[in-house]
Amino acid sequence: MASIRLQTVSKAYGSDLYGVKDVDLTIEDGEFICFLGPSGCGKSTTLRMIAGLEDVTDGAIWIGDKDMTRAAPRDRNVAVVFQSYALYPHMSVRQNMEFGLKMRGVSLAQRNDRIDTVSEILGLGPYLDRKPAALSGGQRQRVALGRAMVREPDVFLMDEPLSNLDAKLRAEMRLELIKLHRRLGRTTIFVTHDQVEAMTMGDRICIMRDGHLVQVGKPLEVYANPVDTFVAQFLASPAMNLLDARLEKGLQDEEVVATALGHFPLSADQVSAYDAARGRKLLLGLRPEDIHEADAPGRVAFKAEIVAVEALGTENIVVFNVAGQEFTARLGRHFIPAIGSTVPLYGDPRQMHLFDAETTRAYPRPSSGPVSNKED
Amino acid sequence: MRRIVSHIGLIFFSAVVLLPILWVLRTSLVPEHLSYSSQILPELTLDNYVALFTTKHFGNNYLNSILVAVGSVIVAMPLACTTGYAFARFRTSGRAGRFSVLATQMLPPVALALPTFMFYRTVGLTNSLPGLMLVYAALNLPFLTWILMGFFESVPSDLEGAAMTDGATAWGAFWRIVLPVAAPGIAAAAVLGFILSWNEFLFALILGGPRTATVPVALASLQTSNGVEIAKVSAGVSLAILPLMIASRFIQRYLVQGLSFGSVK
Repeated sequence: MASIRLQTVSKAYGSDLYGVKDVDLTIEDGEFICFLGPSGCGKSTTLRMIAGLEDVTDGAIWIGDKDMTRAAPRDRNVAVVFQSYALYPHMSVRQNMEFGLKMRGVSLAQRNDRIDTVSEILGLGPYLDRKPAALSGGQRQRVALGRAMVREPDVFLMDEPLSNLDAKLRAEMRLELIKLHRRLGRTTIFVTHDQVEAMTMGDRICIMRDGHLVQVGKPLEVYANPVDTFVAQFLASPAMNLLDARLEKGLQDEEVVATALGHFPLSADQVSAYDAARGRKLLLGLRPEDIHEADAPGRVAFKAEIVAVEALGTENIVVFNVAGQEFTARLGRHFIPAIGSTVPLYGDPRQMHLFDAETTRAYPRPSSGPVSNKED
Repeated sequence: MRRIVSHIGLIFFSAVVLLPILWVLRTSLVPEHLSYSSQILPELTLDNYVALFTTKHFGNNYLNSILVAVGSVIVAMPLACTTGYAFARFRTSGRAGRFSVLATQMLPPVALALPTFMFYRTVGLTNSLPGLMLVYAALNLPFLTWILMGFFESVPSDLEGAAMTDGATAWGAFWRIVLPVAAPGIAAAAVLGFILSWNEFLFALILGGPRTATVPVALASLQTSNGVEIAKVSAGVSLAILPLMIASRFIQRYLVQGLSFGSVK
């Protein structure tokens, strides 16, 4: 069991091309943390640096109370589950799981013991004597997981382990991994580009972009208070709607956010929270689920020309056009407007986010307190 | 109809390739004085083979060839494996460096033969089997390295990552994981190295002597001032082809097999 501390960790390719830049992060003992970001954002590189498979250009990596920055992978007591699974093709499932134990001089009796336990948990019993080539994708994934589990490592490092599975299997494995983590309680880093995985699995998520750590926090906290437009848009599907906005005085001299969708009134706490936004070019962010088909007190009405409707059964994703810009709303399953028709829709000003149009940084929302982009 | 036409074509081209070999086999099995007769099989005899072994020491030549070819493969393969792996994994010395591996292969062999001979004479390696093994190993090394580089590149590097986090050293990962996974490629390269050494003539002629003559040298010596002993040459060629036929069966089997069978996805 171990905590992990990254101190201004950077990875450079050549003199000024950075794959990862100045990442500061502390991962608690037993925590399940997700690294989330688009491909090429440096999340896998960070994971590989923690595993010791990539050299660290700058900074330090601590695992437990040891500085492991320059330690060999085998001295770190971490186990990696690769996206490609990386099963040893010339070995049977049993030999695959046994390899790491043999390397560490675990006795035969103990090896058999651990393999039996893990293969029982993962349901690998019937396949122990098969070669990886004779297994299905899901089974290979389990073997990769089992190979990591039998080692009983301090830290599990998982590099998009579910991305090669079909949707159903992925959902199953997601749940199973969460259960496993509860059962084993090991520190786990899970790299993914799938926001659903990150939201549902992580105790915390770490959002990365262009080699930088953009935001760290509990999934719902990050969802509620994204630090910038990138996080706001990346963390949900469909993404948050963004539209040009400006703080203005309304008809009765009240403070409003003027946008193409209309004037969004500000409550008293919003007025004080957004003081710094006065006079700036802004972006108003409204999540698809904060647009409704029904009116309610305080909601802002606008006329929406329906462009597309994706009926998902549980809900409808409706794409609509207002003043030449397309927006997305997540609406009730019984509300199926005709394409091309114009219907009234209602935005919820209490749920809006405000971003600076130039810096793309968020103005902290009232009652949410300041949002830091780095963990100390 | 189209099938018939294509089959006729295939039969024709197969004949173009096979007939000379079959004719060599035929010539080796008929008495010397009928070698040039137009009859296909006037008389069957094994005399040419017997003569080859009793009057020409072909047995020695054959043994020399096997020793030299196998020996050169044993010397070259460990070097080619480690060098090829290094080039495949560590991106060392860039593209130019990789191509420079093949530099010696771009010279005509005869340009290397003379300096090698001078050197061998000085260190006393002429007319010795180890000398031939070494020179073949050296000559084949760049080519084998080049082939193995490709095989090692096709082994997913995650496998080494997995092995190293599992507790292996870099060398351990190479030895226990990469080599077994690349085994088909390594086997194919070894067979190729064997064939190259088996067929080599120039260096065997220049660096060797009567004691170390290999099969190609022995066959050449059958073209005497009294004419070519075509029946014995044919018998010798037939025997020389034998190990190559076996070897190429192996190569085919291994080259067709995928390398990373089932390790990924």
